[in-house]
Amino acid sequence: MLKREKPKERFGYDPQKVLRKLEELGKEILEEVRQGKNPYLDIPTRGLNNVYFDEVKRVIRMGDKLSRRYFLNVAHARKFMQTLLIAAYVKRLVSEGKHASLREAYYANKHTIPGTKENTFEDQSESDPVIEDLERMLGVLREEMHLTADRRGYVYGDITIRDGEDEFNTSKLGMGGWAVPGTVEHIQFVDINVDYALVVETAAMADRLIEEKFPKKERALIIATQGQASRGVRRLIHRLHYEEGLPIIVFTDGDPYGWYIYSTIKQGSINLAYLSEKLATPEAKFVGMTMDDIKKYGLENVTEKLKGIPPNKKGGPTGDYKRIIEEMNYPWFQTKEWQRQLKLALEWGVRIEQQALANKSLEFVAKKYLPEKIANEELLP
Amino acid sequence: MAKAKELFKEFKIQSVSEFFRRNAAMLGYTGKIRSLTTVVHEAVTNSLDACEEAGILPYVRVEIEELGREHYKIIVEDNGPGIPEKFITHVFGKMLAGTKAHRNIQSRGQQGIGISGAVMFAQITSGKATRVITSTGGDEIIEAWVKIDVEKNEGKIVKKLKHPNPTGWRGTRIELEVKNVKYVRSKQGVFWYLKLTAIANPHAHIELIEPDGKLIVFPRSSEEIPKPPVEMKPHPKGVMTDDVYRMAKKTRKNTVKRFLISEFSRISGKKIDELIKYIAAIRLINSEEDKRIKDELSERLAKGEVDLILRSYGRRAKKIIKEVQKLMEKPPEKLSWHEAEEIVEAFKYMKFLAPPTHGLRPIGEENIVKGLTGILKPEFVTAVTRPPKVYRGGIPFQVEVGLAYGGELESSFNLLRYANRVPLLFDAGACVTTMAARSVDWKRYKVEDLDRAPLTLLINVISVHVPYTSTGKQSIANEDEIYDEIRLAIMEAARRLQTYLSGKHRRLYQVRRKKTLQKYVPEIARALSILTGEPEEKIKEYFISLIEKKFETVEEALEQPVEAEADVEA
Ligand SMILES: Nc1ncnc2c1ncn2[C@@H]1O[C@H](COP(=O)(O)OP(=O)(O)O)[C@@H](O)[C@H]1O
Ligand SMILES: [Mg+2]
Repeated sequence: MLKREKPKERFGYDPQKVLRKLEELGKEILEEVRQGKNPYLDIPTRGLNNVYFDEVKRVIRMGDKLSRRYFLNVAHARKFMQTLLIAAYVKRLVSEGKHASLREAYYANKHTIPGTKENTFEDQSESDPVIEDLERMLGVLREEMHLTADRRGYVYGDITIRDGEDEFNTSKLGMGGWAVPGTVEHIQFVDINVDYALVVETAAMADRLIEEKFPKKERALIIATQGQASRGVRRLIHRLHYEEGLPIIVFTDGDPYGWYIYSTIKQGSINLAYLSEKLATPEAKFVGMTMDDIKKYGLENVTEKLKGIPPNKKGGPTGDYKRIIEEMNYPWFQTKEWQRQLKLALEWGVRIEQQALANKSLEFVAKKYLPEKIANEELLP
Repeated sequence: MAKAKELFKEFKIQSVSEFFRRNAAMLGYTGKIRSLTTVVHEAVTNSLDACEEAGILPYVRVEIEELGREHYKIIVEDNGPGIPEKFITHVFGKMLAGTKAHRNIQSRGQQGIGISGAVMFAQITSGKATRVITSTGGDEIIEAWVKIDVEKNEGKIVKKLKHPNPTGWRGTRIELEVKNVKYVRSKQGVFWYLKLTAIANPHAHIELIEPDGKLIVFPRSSEEIPKPPVEMKPHPKGVMTDDVYRMAKKTRKNTVKRFLISEFSRISGKKIDELIKYIAAIRLINSEEDKRIKDELSERLAKGEVDLILRSYGRRAKKIIKEVQKLMEKPPEKLSWHEAEEIVEAFKYMKFLAPPTHGLRPIGEENIVKGLTGILKPEFVTAVTRPPKVYRGGIPFQVEVGLAYGGELESSFNLLRYANRVPLLFDAGACVTTMAARSVDWKRYKVEDLDRAPLTLLINVISVHVPYTSTGKQSIANEDEIYDEIRLAIMEAARRLQTYLSGKHRRLYQVRRKKTLQKYVPEIARALSILTGEPEEKIKEYFISLIEKKFETVEEALEQPVEAEADVEA
């Protein structure tokens, strides 16, 4: 049976740390300039050629390539200015205990540079990357800088959370559960009365499980990601696992998108490789949907065709096929079980949704499918 | 801010209104265009001077209303310190009544004939009183109509009103009605005059409303108020008999000796002993009948053989020296014209340290660049302010030159002449600035045809005593030292133009790069100030000097054409 394990990390949110790092950054630059040196910012390079898969920790990690952004270089100066603008903004946010969305951060820092027709930021697509740069440079999460990601996802189950002055049990907030905020850094877990967390891709499936009283009966915490897991949700999963010892089980559609969701929860993403250590949960396991489920539960007539051209056809592979082939190459999917699932998907050319299980009966997923698979530990790594 | 009252302490009165009636022409009131410009000049220079002394960033508005044929109303309004009520009649009614008139100071209005001259001109041509509205920012605004009583050399307030001043308005507005003048947009007219004034005073915001209602704004391009010039004691080599005589009459010192020591620069007690010997020698030489002997002795005196000459006269010399010593001990107001003459003559033979120059206030290279850039919008601009020099052995002066090229300039050569920042619009041909500018071999500096080049040259000559060619004060006399300084300054500026022209594109590129960096400095400084708590201004300075350093040499900057973010391994 799945049970809570010993915690491996401690609650570690410390706004002073962020402030100190920002101040240090400012002081270093000032010192350079004071000495008549060309000041620069060292920013770990983003993109595929600077990420690698850490076989030991089993997460996607950022390499050590750096871009050096010099003030005295005309091509860098604007970014240099933007980075410092955001850094100063973050300092104010954190020291005032306020939070802002990425959009707000954009608007707060956008203005016309005196004496020119140029704006400090022309578009949010300019400010977002600068925020990511700061995260990479300082090694702190955007959330720790009080910049909130989009909020998506909710939680339902017998756990008690403290959010500032509020304390509540997420199974007592109605069927909708507790909406995960953009930032979960400051959230504290007061009481945990569940044995594991079940991460569910679709809201429809999460709602079904809640209605069937699955969380109570199975002592499970439902975490609905509503598609790709937001940073807040991923961070929450990470913290629940490492700080509270909760095993993590992921339940998605049986298709390349669902598996990708699993893969980012587990290993981190290429975009956010620098944050893998804080966002990824390599110990997460996968319950379904798998290709094997189709055979085992007789769901053949509720599958759907994969989109795109298969690899053996002219012009292929495209669409879903292409995604699956890419995923087959992921280092963390280099296990017998996963290779088998992915190969079957390619062979059969089908996908299977979570909600296809309703074909059996509404309760089937809550009463039979999940409890059985989890109890028998029929889980993919 | 210097209080208006303090400025007025130095008020002195001279009696010459009659003189004006007869000499209007000499004072700038000749010709229909020039007379109008002169009226505006008197009012505007006063506004700028007053603001400068009071430490106010000037805002001057000039309005020319056409009332009829060759009949105008001229309105000049400023945000200066205002004029205290009891001085109104003095300021506007008495000739040579200025606060600056008797101070040895570099000033725009140099002889104090100033604004009362304009009042007089209005009175003579239109018969109308000048309307003055002024407030020192206190509770009331004074509105007064001023006329001049020509016989008594006295201002008369024809009508006076007091208004409450709820908004605390401060400044002076004068309205003069004049006839026999003409508003034309020529290079002798008001428009051109104000344009040149704006260039030389980038700290001033100047507006002009032309008779047809068109508003022209010469915006401020510098926030820095020039330091007011300081008074400098005259140098013995820079004075004439009249100066010594006049100064002796009004000094508070009780002996001629003390008067000379305290009111002139470079005269010490020891110099007085020397002066006594020289005056004695001059008296002895003048007593000689034979012209040949006289000349020979004078020549020897000029070589400094004063002791030898005196010795050759024996006891007679001793007696004369005693007399001169006595002269030095008498009260200065008893100094006769002839004695003043002797003193000045002796000064000519003597050697003195060069005069102090600290009182001169150039526009400054940076401000000339700002002024030329702000008003003319050239593509290239540079300025040279030469160190102060001395002419006629005792009069300090300083030359500055600004050069603007290309951009929005028309393809013709323009010479903007200034004396103590005041534009000179007339008699260009006789002016040392014109001669010096023309004497330069422009071809050597890549300017093939000066008259068709998009080139504007600004020349400002500043001095406590600018040597004008005439009382009209519109052209500067050809003093060797001044001529040489102007040439040196022009050649330096022209060399920079040449460098620019030969590497025009390369330079342009550099300038653009520099600007790109500079524009981010305020943003960066603010952010770093928030991050570190250091003052923004200081951070700004660091960055500005960093940029300056980088662009010091073009070559160095060109060595780093790498524009992409450099990848480095950590
Ligand atoms: N607009 C003004 N604001 C303040 N004071 C003024 C103004 N115009 C004139 N004055 C005062 O009146 C004096 C006389 O001016 P003016 O006759 O032009 O002689 P000058 O300018 O040579 O001193 C000035 O020195 C100044 O003290
Ligand atoms: Mg004047």
